[in-house]
Amino acid sequence: MEELKVGLENETTQFIVVRLGEEQYGINIKYVDNIVRMQHITRVPKVQEYLRGVINLRGEVIPVMSIRVKMDLELDEYTKSTRIIILKLEQQGNIGIIVDEVKEVVTLDSSQIEKVAYDSKEEKENFISAIGKYEDGGLISLLDLNAVVLDKENI
Amino acid sequence: MDVSQYLEIFLDETKEHLQSLNTEILNLEQDPENVDTINEIFRAAHSLKGMAGTMGYKRMQALTHDMENVFSEVRNGTIKVKGNMIDTLFKCLDALEEYLNTIQESGDEGTNDNAPLIKLLNEVLESKENDSENPGSEKAQDVSSDSANITKQCVQVRDIVFDDTQKHVLNEAIKQGKNVYDIAVRVQETCILKAARAFLVFKALEELGEIIISTPPVQDIEDERFDLDFNLIFISDSPLNKVVAAVKNVSEIDDVQASVVEKEKLAYKFEEGRETELLASSEQNGNMEATLADKPVYVAQNATGGTGKAAEKKTQVSKPVVNRTVRVDIEKLDVLMNLVSELIIAKNSLVSASGGDRGNSSGFNEQIEYLESVTTNLHESVMKVRMVPIESVVNKFPRMTRDLSKKLNKKMELYMSGEETELDRTVVDEIGDPLMHLLRNAADHGLELAQVRKEKGKPEVGSIFLDAYQDGNNVVIEVRDDGAGINTEEVKNKAVSKGIITADQGENMSEQEIVNLLFHAGFSTSEVVSDVSGRGVGLDVVKSKIEALSGEVEVKSKLGVGSTWTIRLPLTLAIIQALMVDVGGEKYAISLGSIQTIEDISPSEIKTVQNKEVIHLRGIVIPLIRLSGVLDIASKKGPEDNMTVVIVKKGSRLAGLVVDELMGQQEIVIKSLGRYITKCKIISGATILGDGEVALILDTNALF
Repeated sequence: MEELKVGLENETTQFIVVRLGEEQYGINIKYVDNIVRMQHITRVPKVQEYLRGVINLRGEVIPVMSIRVKMDLELDEYTKSTRIIILKLEQQGNIGIIVDEVKEVVTLDSSQIEKVAYDSKEEKENFISAIGKYEDGGLISLLDLNAVVLDKENI
Repeated sequence: MDVSQYLEIFLDETKEHLQSLNTEILNLEQDPENVDTINEIFRAAHSLKGMAGTMGYKRMQALTHDMENVFSEVRNGTIKVKGNMIDTLFKCLDALEEYLNTIQESGDEGTNDNAPLIKLLNEVLESKENDSENPGSEKAQDVSSDSANITKQCVQVRDIVFDDTQKHVLNEAIKQGKNVYDIAVRVQETCILKAARAFLVFKALEELGEIIISTPPVQDIEDERFDLDFNLIFISDSPLNKVVAAVKNVSEIDDVQASVVEKEKLAYKFEEGRETELLASSEQNGNMEATLADKPVYVAQNATGGTGKAAEKKTQVSKPVVNRTVRVDIEKLDVLMNLVSELIIAKNSLVSASGGDRGNSSGFNEQIEYLESVTTNLHESVMKVRMVPIESVVNKFPRMTRDLSKKLNKKMELYMSGEETELDRTVVDEIGDPLMHLLRNAADHGLELAQVRKEKGKPEVGSIFLDAYQDGNNVVIEVRDDGAGINTEEVKNKAVSKGIITADQGENMSEQEIVNLLFHAGFSTSEVVSDVSGRGVGLDVVKSKIEALSGEVEVKSKLGVGSTWTIRLPLTLAIIQALMVDVGGEKYAISLGSIQTIEDISPSEIKTVQNKEVIHLRGIVIPLIRLSGVLDIASKKGPEDNMTVVIVKKGSRLAGLVVDELMGQQEIVIKSLGRYITKCKIISGATILGDGEVALILDTNALF
């Protein structure tokens, strides 16, 4: 029995904890390609509002989106701690998302992750796939990146 | 022998040979007496057979072998070219292509023996007996001139055909009691000057006696057109070991095999000259080994993996001009291209870095200018490496037209021009299917039946034109027919009945707009769905494919006169010369290729026509497009300031783009905006400027 328990506990996932406003969100580290400082974003006209533009990441042109605009929060305020997290997604390629701050990397095992029941009426909830519970009692919302990146207007 | 690593080369070259066979057989149909054509066909068929044999594809080899037999008889003039024979040959080519596809998919040729085809070929062959008596002497001469074909490379006594003088010399020699030797010489693989070594061997031997025949012929050996071996028939008083020693004296000779040719055997040969020849050729037919050996250069080429040489040899025979080619993996070129792009970006940042302190560093600027010219040249040459003529794609169309003509029972002729027009390799690879669709459409929907054409007073034979040419930074490919043209009424009704547009919409559409409906997905006007076209997937696929290549397609049509489909493709995909402009503080690039002129316009010159701003410029009315409006940004200029207008063209139409400021010309590397940003149609891509900032590239075509 002891062995089985160890096996279960080993099933852990690492998350990057980021801050958006007052809330903490977790991003599964396997989708994260890179974290870069805020830099000049070239605006692209005639696109969805949450698409802030494109940046140059070592010779690659990468679109950057504002997760705040997508979630109907107020517009980003760029500060010293603002970062762009470059996600590597299979379908959409590389995409940058703007976060207010990158805090730390946490390791959660499956017992610390609680799936959330969807309330289909409330759109904002749908960006979150689960809630992660910290050891010290803190909570982080684990982002469902596919939902974040998904472009409803194009479908 | 493990041949899998040569499969790629085999596939490529087989495709080439099949293509040239298709083309040449078409020519043959038009001009059955053309000796060059027949020779070319024979060569291609022969190479095909040799290659299939080398790779161990027995069925393919058997079929090509029988085809070659037919060609050989045609070449000898014993069979006349007839319609049904051409049909049979085309069927054979199709079968070969099938083999090729199977090989490409599974690495195996499959199990189809194509026995009916082989039977047909044999029937063609048998028909020669009825056609004419087999003129022996003619054939003998022919075979001897082609002696390389029937001579085995192996070190053993070969069946060589001697002509009369040679026979005479040999006879004399034997009478005088001289020895006749058969010598096989192998040059070392590492030998660089093979021809020179061969020459030394010849010289050494000529001191001892007389060389009667050499295979390959002396001329070829002098030109180094041989692999490592060559064979000689040699008459001498000297004993065998002395002869061998003389040859071995020459350095870089790997091996010498010599044997005395028995007098009895020679005598026999003279008496039975013709039979021997036939024997030899039939042996070649039946024996795989012989086929392999009779193309020494080809085998060697396969063994070393170098392709240029075989192509060289082939062209040397047919044309005096030799194209030296190397096959390069396209991915390697992509890497090279990317490196060039980076170099250009690095150069651009140097340029912008030098902008600051111009005063003290004239030497620095000079160096930068030098770097600039080097990168530009480098870019151009890499670009050129990637360019291939569209010939490789359009070459299959005459054959297709012929088939279509039979299938649709319409008379038609395809006229092509500009096959040599070059395009980026990736574009050429993709353009084949759209072009095929357009041609099939022209044949199926465009051209009328002969009867109808006659009634309309048109020539019975319909014409389809395929013209390609370069136009500025674009390549234009036009598919034109002199058929019925597009019936806009019919198209409109169809579109309404299919629910693509409403009847009201239809009433208000211009002819051109209606014609453009043809590109709508799920549209097909042909009443009968044929296997040629009319599945309704054609034109929208054509359009999307061409747009994926950053090109565009448009159609013009006149009822009763014909239609013209115009495909416009960018010449290069990766790096362009662009004009950088400032709009509301943002930098945008406009491709230099689409810019006509740049004008300074005062606001008082702006007129309005139908509520749209236009300017009147040297007799032409040009619509104005305020980029600040299109790009959703506030212009830095006041309404009273003079405007900078960039006049761009799309085809024959012009438009004036109002910008805030010109920033100068720059070479830019086009980067994609990625798969995520798809909504923005007026931006065709992005580029990275010298300071690392991203600037967007305006797609001026989308602004019209």
